[in-house]
Amino acid sequence: MAYRLPPCETERRRLVLCTRPLPLKPGSRCSNKSTLFTSVRGSRDLVSFSFTHTPEETCPARAMPSEEPNGCSMELKEGIDNSTFQDEESGDVEQGCAPEETAPQEDRDSGFKQIKPYAGMPKEVLLLYSSQPCYRLPREILFWLTIMLTLALIALTITVIALSPRCLSWWQSSTVYQIYPRSFMDSDNDGVGDLRGIKEKLDHFEYLNIKAVWISPFYKSPMKDFGYDVEDFREIDPLFGTMQDFEDLLAAMHDRGLKLIMDYIPNHTSDRHRWFQLSRNRTQNYEDYYIWANCSRTKPPNNWVSIFGNSSWTYDEDRGQCFLHQFLKEQPDLNFRNPRVIKEMNDVLHFWLEKGVDGFRMDAVKHMLEAPHLRNEPQVDPEQPPDTVDTEFELYHDYTTSQPGLHDIIRGWRVELDKYSREPGRYRFMVTESYDYEEIDKTMMYYGTSFVRESDFPFNFYLLYLPKYLSGQGAFDLVNLWMSNMPEGKWPNWVVGNHDKPRISSSAGAEFVRAINMMLLTLPGTPTTYYGEEIGMENVNVTEIQDPFGKFDPNSTRDPQRTPMQWSAAENAGFSTNKTWLPVHPDYKTVNVEAQKNESESVLQQYRALSLLREAELALQRGWMCYVWSDKDVFAFVRELDGLSRAFLVVLNFGRDAVTDLSWVAGLPDELTVHMSTRYAARGERRRKARLETARGEGLLLEYSTQRRLNSNPAFKCFVSEKACYLSELDILYKC
Amino acid sequence: MSDTTKRTRETPNSSTDPDGPAQAQYGGDQVKAAALQKDVGLFSGICLIVGTMIGSGIFISPKAVLSGTGAVGPCLSVWAACGVLATLGALCYAELGTMITKSGGEYPYLMEGFGSLVAFLYSWTTVIVLKPSSFAIIALSFAEYAAVPFYPGCPPPAVIIKCQAAASILLITLVNSLSVKLASYVQIFFTVAKLLIILIIVIAGMVLLAQGNTENLTNAFEGASPSFGTIGLAFYNGLWAYDGWNQLNFITEELKNPYRNLPLAIIIGIPLVSVCYILVNIAYFTAMTPIELLQSPAVAVTFGDRVLYPVSWVVPLFVVFSTFGAANGSCFTAGRLTYVAGREGHMVKILSYISLRHCTPSPAIIFNGILSIIYIMPADINMLINYFSFAQWTFYGLTVLALIVMRFTRKELRRPVKVPILLAAVVFLVSCYLVLAPIIEQPELEYLYCAIFIFSGLIFYFLFVHYKWSWTRRVMRPVTKYLQLLMEVVPPEKTE
Repeated sequence: MAYRLPPCETERRRLVLCTRPLPLKPGSRCSNKSTLFTSVRGSRDLVSFSFTHTPEETCPARAMPSEEPNGCSMELKEGIDNSTFQDEESGDVEQGCAPEETAPQEDRDSGFKQIKPYAGMPKEVLLLYSSQPCYRLPREILFWLTIMLTLALIALTITVIALSPRCLSWWQSSTVYQIYPRSFMDSDNDGVGDLRGIKEKLDHFEYLNIKAVWISPFYKSPMKDFGYDVEDFREIDPLFGTMQDFEDLLAAMHDRGLKLIMDYIPNHTSDRHRWFQLSRNRTQNYEDYYIWANCSRTKPPNNWVSIFGNSSWTYDEDRGQCFLHQFLKEQPDLNFRNPRVIKEMNDVLHFWLEKGVDGFRMDAVKHMLEAPHLRNEPQVDPEQPPDTVDTEFELYHDYTTSQPGLHDIIRGWRVELDKYSREPGRYRFMVTESYDYEEIDKTMMYYGTSFVRESDFPFNFYLLYLPKYLSGQGAFDLVNLWMSNMPEGKWPNWVVGNHDKPRISSSAGAEFVRAINMMLLTLPGTPTTYYGEEIGMENVNVTEIQDPFGKFDPNSTRDPQRTPMQWSAAENAGFSTNKTWLPVHPDYKTVNVEAQKNESESVLQQYRALSLLREAELALQRGWMCYVWSDKDVFAFVRELDGLSRAFLVVLNFGRDAVTDLSWVAGLPDELTVHMSTRYAARGERRRKARLETARGEGLLLEYSTQRRLNSNPAFKCFVSEKACYLSELDILYKC
Repeated sequence: MSDTTKRTRETPNSSTDPDGPAQAQYGGDQVKAAALQKDVGLFSGICLIVGTMIGSGIFISPKAVLSGTGAVGPCLSVWAACGVLATLGALCYAELGTMITKSGGEYPYLMEGFGSLVAFLYSWTTVIVLKPSSFAIIALSFAEYAAVPFYPGCPPPAVIIKCQAAASILLITLVNSLSVKLASYVQIFFTVAKLLIILIIVIAGMVLLAQGNTENLTNAFEGASPSFGTIGLAFYNGLWAYDGWNQLNFITEELKNPYRNLPLAIIIGIPLVSVCYILVNIAYFTAMTPIELLQSPAVAVTFGDRVLYPVSWVVPLFVVFSTFGAANGSCFTAGRLTYVAGREGHMVKILSYISLRHCTPSPAIIFNGILSIIYIMPADINMLINYFSFAQWTFYGLTVLALIVMRFTRKELRRPVKVPILLAAVVFLVSCYLVLAPIIEQPELEYLYCAIFIFSGLIFYFLFVHYKWSWTRRVMRPVTKYLQLLMEVVPPEKTE
């Protein structure tokens, strides 16, 4: 529509018209719809206004005399205005909306009627037209549209919030990294690692994209069991530093968004603990802090044996009674049937929670309670002479582990932790340690139930058996053991090493380290990484045994997996410049963090890539896991998320070189793209599902795009902790 | 533009039904002049100042000052000193505001002091970037605080934050373009709400103090690490918490009795805010150590969880209220600057028009709202906007400089409030420091881009304002006309 400027001359003429005095009923008030201004003042408004305002736009006004003698008044009669109105309504809407082109030519009564709307028009002119339906309707439509849009946005927000699945907490989204503080980093060159050493190395966690760090005990301790014998729960052992060092470490970790998990050792204290001293001399209130039983110097109350070997009873000269110790004799068991002990230990929790600790690993919880009747435990081999029974595995621990009441204590801790979890972003995490071997149902009880929560998860130690059953089928069985026993809706976790078990790289073989790391980081749930696993550290042959367990039985020594972290090719692997408390592995010149950072496709680089991928990919974070294959060589599973086309196939070889045919899996496309192989840089290569080649110890992470989900096919066994679907249009997850 | 016709302002008709037929309102004598009404009294004025200054910062992240000073004592001192500085700055603005009683904040003062070009660059930067983006940021943080309680442990999805922010912008824009009165009621309500939660926190803090939780406040100056650079940084961040002292200068024309109310609102409002800030900080220290305060993702919420449980939910709720109130205040004043700039021909004319029906500068408010909605769309706007902060302080400094300059060039102007010129000089030096400090601390290319953007306004100035390209008016005329008809807006009438 060509727009024609209203010629100034015309405008002027029209406005001059309005100065002509008109018949007027002063002050008359018309409530009629179409009548606009009836008062003199109204028209003065117009004139003065068009004069004073914006001369460049209202050029007609320039010609106006500045002194308006009488002003002009007007009265638009109903009939006239209505006729105009009807004219326009009956005519084309387009025309109606462009009144300057279709303005009625007749100039009957009023000059005003002829004024076409123009830019910068004052209200008198505007009101002539603005109530016309062609302006009023869009105006009202726009107004209501805005309101509707606002309401729609609010409704959308509420819907999304209502449909959102619970989000993953920090202990679910991150790997838990275990530090053995004696061996992580030595800052004061005494040969033993310390807290300030850990603080120096926080960059390492940022590099690995790890947000949760569990530090094995650093309480004040005589170090009979390297920190698991606590002399004072509220102090730091001078070997590791001071309380100030701890607070600095915690603050530094929180500054980087890292969470600190501490060890909490409820079962026992050191025999040097104040409580034990008070208990052995029968100080009031402290008498029953530990488990005392009448006995003679030579004959213990029953046949119970310690985890570290020999009887779990030791005669105390001062008190003239035996005390129970399920571990070393320097580690007397606390009496958790005594409410004072429960209270004392809760106070310890509070002490550290107040300091801001983010979680606890509850040590040896199954040993906390013993049967009060102190009966003999049945022998595994009834024929064995009772005198020779001196190791853990020669008895059924019916009266010393997993006693009734145990879970009530753990629920109590959960309540205490929850009191500190209310602050935003401060969920306090609890993981329990319990080796239940074939009685996996006992482990699962630590998950709690759907109505009473206990730990967030109990450590899953079953992958520690992987070296023993090293095969594709073995891996499948161990994974499936946990997944099929875990209560519905709970969160799995995976441990392949800790300070009590030989390093997986030594027991399974170094060639499997990469595949095991890949399995750890691609399975659903929280992976736990014991320090050094990320670079493939191996056991060290220790000739001078430090471990008390090893001193009892050299075959059980835990020293080999506790050697100093290998940081660089510098002296003592950059751990310390002094003689280290355990020898450094001789291969540290090549197996160290610094070297692997600079070497592409190193164990460290692959670990990091997988760790970053795990965080970035929803399917790996919280998607389904479906088993697709297991044989003696290969274990394969799929990670997928409903609504997300990108999915992953993980093929892990724990046997010999193999070719796997997955053509029968209809949900997989014929060709898949290699996202990562642990063997060599194969990213982007295409592989046919009918011929998936894997070498011994190779882990293959393939990605593909699909609309078909395996989890909807009953032929596949699939697991998901909490079902969620992805909506790509809004980039959100929703419950489904 | 000689205005010789003096007319009396028509009495505002406050009982018009906004939903009634439009014509009915204009049928009689009781018609409002199409001009902004003097609707803002002293109380609303104070609410506007307090409500905009106290956004969410004091509740969420009062840590920048602490991290700069390192100890509780210097931290509180810096808060107090920033309050004094803000009051001084505001007093300068009180002089300017009563000397030149025009809306638009710094704009008319820069116009008087340095002429059209500087004023144009100011309005260009502020109207296009600073105001809408700060509105957008406040709306985004409102949305985030409203959504966070539903997502414990992880950030809420971007889509709901953006939807919620857009909804709040739409709602606030709607309210502000419908009625000045309604907007100031909204402002009063949310300001009272935020003062209430501050009162709750302060009282809880007092109770804790009385119970002897003073360990963080004793030896308050221990462990301080006063280096010039860090203290400066603390000042920089502290003064940001006081940003907004000039809000009332944006609406001078709408103040009832501006000569009395403008200075009065400033000297009541800003010390009130300072006292609130200091007391709230003391309350925080009764419940958490400096390190905990530094590491808390939302300090007031942490405080509430520790002290107010089981009614700790009030804190996040009121933080949301407070943020919403700040957004409303930001929208309220932003519209006025756009309106004034449009009136002076520095922005398209339509922006200076006034809604006939509602007596609000609705085109300006809607323009600001639309820009804000555009600003919430990109992924991370905060970064970009942070770089523009130096522009803000440049204009503050220039305004105070204008005050000093006008003491010599415009001696004849009546100055109901007159501040010592030395005081203005101090404020000017402080703003110079605040402009230069972040640039020297961390010189980055982005500052250059911002400067380029600001000076790119020159192109527009010379093309459209100075040389008045004819085709722009040829394009704008029909646009203006149809928008006028559509929105029922007219140029403001002079009311004296």
